[in-house]
Amino acid sequence: MELFVQSVISGILLGGLYAAIGVGLSLVFGIMGLTNIAHGSLMILASFFIMILSQQATGSVILSLILTLAIMAAISGLAQGFLVNRVLDKGAEPALLVTFGIAIIIQNALQLAFGADFKSIASPFASINVVNSKWVVITGEYLLNFIISVAVIFALHFIVRKTWFGRSIRAASSSVVAAELMGINTKRTYVLTMSLATMTGCIGGLLVGQTFGFYSYSGMSYLIIAFGVVVIGGMGSIVGTLLGGVILGVAQLLGAYFFGSGVQILIGYLTLLVILTLRPRGLLSNMTRK
Amino acid sequence: MQGVRKNNYTKSLAILVIVIVLFFLPQYGSDYAISIGVLIFLYISLGQMWNLLGGYSGLVSLGQQIFVGIGGYTAALVTEVWHQSIAVSLVVAAGVSLVFAFIISFPIFKMRGVYFTIGTWIVSEALLVFFRNWKFVNYDAGYNITIAYRIPMSQIYHGALVIGIGSVVLVYLILRSRMGLALMSMRDNEGAAEVRGVRLYRTKLYCFVISSVYTAITGVVLYLNIAYIKPGAAFGIDWTVCMVFIVVIGGLGTIEGPIIGAVVYVILRQYLYSFPGISMVILGAVAVAIILLMPKGIMGAIHKKFGVEVFSVRRRIDERLEDGS
Amino acid sequence: MNDSALLSIEGLSVSYGDFLALHDVTMQFPKGRIISIIGSNGAGKSTLLRTVMGVTKPTSGHVIFSNEDITGLQTSKIVAKGLSMSPEGSYVFEDMSVHENLMMGAYLPSHRKNMDSLLERSYELFPVLKEKSKQLATFLSGGQRQMLAIARALMSEPKLLICDEISLGLAPVVIGDIYDRILDVNDSGVTIVLVEQEVKRSLEYSDFSYVLVKGRVVMQGKADELDEGAVRDAYFGINQFA
Repeated sequence: MELFVQSVISGILLGGLYAAIGVGLSLVFGIMGLTNIAHGSLMILASFFIMILSQQATGSVILSLILTLAIMAAISGLAQGFLVNRVLDKGAEPALLVTFGIAIIIQNALQLAFGADFKSIASPFASINVVNSKWVVITGEYLLNFIISVAVIFALHFIVRKTWFGRSIRAASSSVVAAELMGINTKRTYVLTMSLATMTGCIGGLLVGQTFGFYSYSGMSYLIIAFGVVVIGGMGSIVGTLLGGVILGVAQLLGAYFFGSGVQILIGYLTLLVILTLRPRGLLSNMTRK
Repeated sequence: MQGVRKNNYTKSLAILVIVIVLFFLPQYGSDYAISIGVLIFLYISLGQMWNLLGGYSGLVSLGQQIFVGIGGYTAALVTEVWHQSIAVSLVVAAGVSLVFAFIISFPIFKMRGVYFTIGTWIVSEALLVFFRNWKFVNYDAGYNITIAYRIPMSQIYHGALVIGIGSVVLVYLILRSRMGLALMSMRDNEGAAEVRGVRLYRTKLYCFVISSVYTAITGVVLYLNIAYIKPGAAFGIDWTVCMVFIVVIGGLGTIEGPIIGAVVYVILRQYLYSFPGISMVILGAVAVAIILLMPKGIMGAIHKKFGVEVFSVRRRIDERLEDGS
Repeated sequence: MNDSALLSIEGLSVSYGDFLALHDVTMQFPKGRIISIIGSNGAGKSTLLRTVMGVTKPTSGHVIFSNEDITGLQTSKIVAKGLSMSPEGSYVFEDMSVHENLMMGAYLPSHRKNMDSLLERSYELFPVLKEKSKQLATFLSGGQRQMLAIARALMSEPKLLICDEISLGLAPVVIGDIYDRILDVNDSGVTIVLVEQEVKRSLEYSDFSYVLVKGRVVMQGKADELDEGAVRDAYFGINQFA
């Protein structure tokens, strides 16, 4: 019973992190209908930047994160502006394939630069237990991950709902023609949206880098988690990703509780497939647009 | 009309000559040439089958490695564990993939567009994890496929040749059938074709099943050529990456595309072997550049510039439409 | 060129590939007036509007606004200069509230400072929008959407307002109501361009009319001097002047 409670609590906390991984994907899909296969790889690229910068230049994870946010915003914005924007009006597949190509380039470039070794980002909170009772143990790391992720999601929600930039994003997603007539440069909005989404991915990259570790090809594994989260929560729904993350996290850890840790990930996938079969457009699909 | 027909004869003759030349390659070609040939034919088949889904049916799948894996594992189990022939493994692979494709079609055909894309990938990842934890397939250790060492290379070559040519013929016949007509009209105008929803569903389902079974058969020969199998490689997304590259480079939604794409892909990859690591980066960059500069791939660019088309499905369809109206 | 013209279109041609969508179109829009452009579906009205607003690039010709050549400028720059367009009602932002839709009309930073008083003015012009201000635009009726689109376009305090197909799919009573509001807007000093399929009402409400057929201006004149029957004939291509 203790283990059951522990599984649920850990699943919820893990789910927060999953949501941070997925929310950028959801934003990009909701706004420009783009399935960004490169999301996971961009995230792992950020993990590498943070690791290298903190080890060799700044000595501080926070400072490295800030630098990485700027670098990744620039990289993803350029990729959007020069590559993806050019094929967006040619239908869904070419844009998807371009991001697929970008993902392949990033992960193999990382492989070339850093090999296939497993890396991680040092975390000062890994061994601190915030709660340590008979029923449940909560590590500082998991708790912090959860708090940061929830903060990221609500910050994003606030930006999209309450700022002029957010309104321009929603307007462009609603009607490109009308948005242009309001004076919004929709192509530029897409660039900024991609940068913003990738910045949330940077934070995801930091957290998974500290918690699970990563290597050059990890992007695809995290991408599939991101997909899972977004699919459950409903593509384009920002707050929905939080629900999606929690469901996936709890499903995985309960799967491990009932069937053993070997099948934990399998249970996660099966949960996803069941949800997708019953609600082919996600659990919160009625709340989303596309 | 005479001119068109004469042109067709010349075309058929040229194709026949090429096939004969390729068939006798083991008699005069080097071992290296033969091994390259094997790869090209098998990748033509993978490309054709992905194209049948992504290029013609609007089903962008990231999960066709499922069937490469099923084919490979069938070859391993049938020959290594049950000591049966390769012919048996081909039949078993076809049967297993048929059943599996049919079963998973229920959930994944409920998903539309991008959800289908993600759904297929999740199925393949789930299968990967399942195989790693499945005693029946020797967990993560996999198998050596020792029968591969005992069969002559020329036999594998001819198998690959048959599969490669077979895939082209198969897709050609599908596109010229009533199914092909339905696919074309769907691709050009999904809304209008949606009216005949039930038939459309069945057409897509047939395409999915055919593509899956043929990919599994290709997988058998692929793994006879590789000679060992593990879950990570068998169900890896890398297979789909290469299918997508081949189709996109060659030309999405054309029959010639996957042929050109497979030749370019295999040769480029062979050449890039001398630059380990960077090869995939270059391939990725080439694919992105081609999507941006030649959205219809090399074949699309050739067609636009010279009006050349080897396998014309289009003309046939125009005729039918005219007949119908 | 007429000196008092606020907007003038001079010899504008647009082609998509081989297809010539607009052929040497010249039009004048004097300050303070209501001008209508009448044409059927496919006459080139949308292409004309898209080109004026900078969405489509012309093959040749010029668009002059306030004595300034704005041909090929970015839409945002054109809007900033005081030209605004109300697209047909299907182009409201459906998943934003009515209030937010109106705010988007004042999106450009230079327009934001008077936003509150402009919002008040919009609600005075169309009181029904005030009642629905918190609702998502997707729940509005056709007429309310049209009102929202017009009010939104006015949020940028334009000197000239282009209204695309106000009467499309609306009941006559509603159309009349909206047209009366357009007259109010015109009285406040805004030059109006009505783009319509409907002949009768366009002539009734405007000072001057252009008839567009297959991308060419085939007829023009003071609205009260143009014969409705002749316009209709030209419109349907029975008696082309070109």
